[in-house]
Amino acid sequence: MRPRFGRALLRLFAVQGSYNYERMLGLGVGVAEEPLLRGLPADGVPSPYRAAVARGAHFFNSHPYLAGLAVGAAARAEHDGASAELIERLRAALCGPLGSIGDRLVWAGWLPLLSGLTLAAISLGAGWSAVVAFFVVYNIGHVALRWWALRQGWTYGVRVASALHHPLLQRGAALAGPAMACAVGAALPLSAQYLAAPFAVGARAVLAGAAVIGFLALRWLPGRLTGLRLALGLAAAALALGWVWR
Amino acid sequence: MSLGILLALLAWGTLVGVDLVSLPQMMIARPLVAGTVAGAILGDLDAGLKLGVVFELLQYDILPVGAVRYPEYGPATVAAVATAHAAGTLGLGLGAVVGLVTGLVGGISIHLLRRVNSRVVNDAAAALESGDPRALVRLHVGGLLRDGLRAALVTAAGLGLAWMGPPLLAGVPSPREVSIFTLLAAAAVAAALAAGAAGTLRLVGRGVNLAWFAAGLGGGVVAVIWLR
Repeated sequence: MRPRFGRALLRLFAVQGSYNYERMLGLGVGVAEEPLLRGLPADGVPSPYRAAVARGAHFFNSHPYLAGLAVGAAARAEHDGASAELIERLRAALCGPLGSIGDRLVWAGWLPLLSGLTLAAISLGAGWSAVVAFFVVYNIGHVALRWWALRQGWTYGVRVASALHHPLLQRGAALAGPAMACAVGAALPLSAQYLAAPFAVGARAVLAGAAVIGFLALRWLPGRLTGLRLALGLAAAALALGWVWR
Repeated sequence: MSLGILLALLAWGTLVGVDLVSLPQMMIARPLVAGTVAGAILGDLDAGLKLGVVFELLQYDILPVGAVRYPEYGPATVAAVATAHAAGTLGLGLGAVVGLVTGLVGGISIHLLRRVNSRVVNDAAAALESGDPRALVRLHVGGLLRDGLRAALVTAAGLGLAWMGPPLLAGVPSPREVSIFTLLAAAAVAAALAAGAAGTLRLVGRGVNLAWFAAGLGGGVVAVIWLR
């Protein structure tokens, strides 16, 4: 079973490779699950193996790092002879929690926490070594989470909901928020100092004014004004001002 | 910029573009990493780090949940660093503009790719429902290859802009040119700081996290004053 588990884990790194609006991560989940289904009987029309492969590729959406939990759980349930309806219900029930926990733990926790620390370190003169540290530390957590999720799913099968209460997820998500907030909070003034250092006093005043106005505009017009639109708008204004001003 | 360096940047930008969503999401698509490595390829780490920080702050504006549409700042940062390196001391603003346009194009291309993938999956529904594992893997690998092609095209477009931009700064810049490109750089940095702050506050929300954010902000301000 171990080589199949390893193959499934490797395939999980490409779980979003065919991301689409029809089945979202479904195809990637099906591809990752397929090695774990190979022990199922391949005889009959449709064979249990083929029916399970087809089910595995149905609609699925979650945080990509935690998709392994659904992959392992569904594959285990197939081997345990669970009904097709139960497996479909299990997959559907996992979408929301895996998306929510993963987003809180990774996209709104682990990633911005390390990114904030790296921004602060670069601003304090750490240079490229801070970026290397970010890459290594982030991926230790990343790979460990993918491996843990697949293993938990494969261990628990249809009882996988208990894995969602694991202290690693619950405490991790609870700690990641405050740590991220503190790290990025500290990184913002340090990054401002780092980026503004080469400018003359007058240009720094313009920069500070534009940053404050931009921040207020982004707060007042959420959804309509994005960082990209603001940046392009300010760049266009700077070009126009520079053109007129002699 | 030699052909070898251009090809290295194209390869790096493609890897960065694929990493964002498809494979393996190890965050080389993060502007800090994409920019630093692009800077190392060009022998200009300072430009790589500076533009990496600018686009990393802009990235805080994005929370990649569900099927949300967002700009793609990885290949954009590679193109921005290439522009800034070629343009010299006044290149930060010009690099940022090239990066922003490339990021916009990258975001649109991701949306188009997902629509193409949807159509391909829809057309292959019967094969998928039959449980044919080879058809499933073929469709999935097809999606991966399309994303690789998309990332290469976006990076090539960004590097094309990087090639066109620096001649604007050829020779000794006039005082007017200096003021225009300084303003451009200030605008890019201001937008990055604004987006970084607004995006972080959106992530932080209210309650205890906001208190931790304030504590961090205070600590950062004290560090800035202490280091002056």
